[in-house]
Amino acid sequence: MPAAENTLPPEPADSLAAVVALRRLADQLENAAVEQAMRAGWSWPQVSEALGVTRQAVHKKHAKRLIAAGVELRRRAD
Amino acid sequence: MSAFDKYLHAVILRATDEARADGSSTVDAQHLLLSLAADQGSTAQRLLASAGLDRGAVRTALDREFEHSLSLVGVAPAARDLPAASPAIQDPALGASAKLALERSFTTARKKDLRSAHLLLGILEARIGTVPRTLALAGVDRAELAQRAGRALEGGER
Repeated sequence: MPAAENTLPPEPADSLAAVVALRRLADQLENAAVEQAMRAGWSWPQVSEALGVTRQAVHKKHAKRLIAAGVELRRRAD
Repeated sequence: MSAFDKYLHAVILRATDEARADGSSTVDAQHLLLSLAADQGSTAQRLLASAGLDRGAVRTALDREFEHSLSLVGVAPAARDLPAASPAIQDPALGASAKLALERSFTTARKKDLRSAHLLLGILEARIGTVPRTLALAGVDRAELAQRAGRALEGGER
């Protein structure tokens, strides 16, 4: 990563707005990536380990959405 | 339920749909703005349209602010090319910026006198955050639009 990207924009409003935009981008990316993994047959433990969060957290955040979307969910990491 | 309560309920329902379509877990001030811009026939919608802000223009301006803010820290929104994730099931809840906009609306008039332009005023009062940044990037004079909303209310427009 170029050094320039490690500096903040000079205006605090711009730095804070970048945080908001990055959170939104990360949420969009997480939703798409978890769905991609589960459709590819990954299990909740695998996805949670990859994301570095608890199984409960990833399940709570995504299970209902994916079940409603008709994604076949594996329960175990076998 | 008063006529305004019913109106407000419809505005929030539409904003909730906008938040869901946005993949957002919260209804934010910008979703209220999208809702007002789509509210054909209301004073708020007419005021926004007079500034060139129909619903599509607000959406475009919001996307531009998103990309601009990301670019300030060297990030290009690759998520634009992601397959759209399946929508959330749970309704997004009112977030802090939307609550603040509504509170500001409610302090400008007695409850029975509230109209659509009060909601617009409450949103436009924010000087910090996604909505004012979006309007500034789109070349919309937020303060001037707020003044016109205020004048429309003094003129007794609904």
